Amino acid sequence: MTKRIRNFILAAVITLMTAAPAWAENHIYKLYVDGLACPFCAYGVEKMVGGLDGVKSIEIDIDAGVVNVTMKDDAKLDQDVAKKAVDDAGFSLRKFAEPGSRS
Amino acid sequence: MKLPIIKHRRGIYGLAIVTAFALIPWTSAKAHNPIFTPGPHLIYNGGLEVDAGYTRGRKSGNGEKETENEGETGFEYGLTADWTVEADISYLDKDLNATGSSGLGDVVLRSRYRFSRISTKGVQKSAAILAQVKLPTADDDSNPRLGSGSTDFLGGLLYGYESRRWYYNLAARYRLNTEGGGGLEKGDKQFLDIVGGVRPFLTGYKQPDGVLFLELNFENSGRDNLNGSDVTNSGGWEMFLSPGIFATYRNVALRTGVQIPIADNLNGKQANSDYRFKFEMKYTF
Repeated sequence: MTKRIRNFILAAVITLMTAAPAWAENHIYKLYVDGLACPFCAYGVEKMVGGLDGVKSIEIDIDAGVVNVTMKDDAKLDQDVAKKAVDDAGFSLRKFAEPGSRS
Repeated sequence: MKLPIIKHRRGIYGLAIVTAFALIPWTSAKAHNPIFTPGPHLIYNGGLEVDAGYTRGRKSGNGEKETENEGETGFEYGLTADWTVEADISYLDKDLNATGSSGLGDVVLRSRYRFSRISTKGVQKSAAILAQVKLPTADDDSNPRLGSGSTDFLGGLLYGYESRRWYYNLAARYRLNTEGGGGLEKGDKQFLDIVGGVRPFLTGYKQPDGVLFLELNFENSGRDNLNGSDVTNSGGWEMFLSPGIFATYRNVALRTGVQIPIADNLNGKQANSDYRFKFEMKYTF
């Protein structure tokens, strides 16, 4: 009986460990932003997108023209809201990839 | 007794403008523009940029030697992503043939509207119109005069191409001068600018970044008019070659460059430009 409980706990831990990256991935949106050319300009994207409700952090890859937006727990990013934030920063949103989607 | 009242009024102008901008929410950022050429890249919607700069220029020749030092503070606020309002306030120190004067310079109010913005991956092409008014806040009774005493207007068309590696800019501007103190009306002025720029090292976000610019600046002035008569020793054109650098680290930017005269054709006997130097620091809150 003790062995069965131990195996169950072990299996549960392994399941949680392997599920953690997928869980984190589910909170990251990818914004494909056109017009991004320099780090100084990207600051505007950080301010506008990073200031949206529910956004935990953002990472900007200028060469790829991609803004990775990590949301807080249970928060979701609306495409229209993201598009307006990118536009207000002076750039254009080319593609919006939700968590879990293939990009 | 008239002069102190005028000076007091100028002080109120300056104070009102500074106060107005102090009331704007302090959130900001901006884009790359060349050092001596205005560009179409604007600050984001609701953003505010503050800059402080120093410029120095010297002219000499035909028995004259003129040196001008200017400390300047500027503000840019994004009404939308494509429309900004800006203001520059300066302090001048002038020396003409060993006679000097210093004080508040002319306040400049400016607005840019970007009517075209084409973005593709890593590239942005944009075009904007520029409108500017220079207020006669500088003392035009001093010797040498710190300002013309006139309210002058400027309009222009700006184009910019920005990519990860290359930059190109074109600008055409026309300045309409009006009559100032002592019946003097400075000749209208036209500006044409062509700029190329390169980013030698492609860096990522949150890393230092630098762009080298080389500008060709052409300036043409009409003859001044004094009480209805043209001033012989005034007007003409000058052309400058202007290397510069724009260095940034996230929301902090440094711009510096020097305008070197390479050709001119000034009317009559006038001092020629020797150089103009500019250094500017920008901060985005």
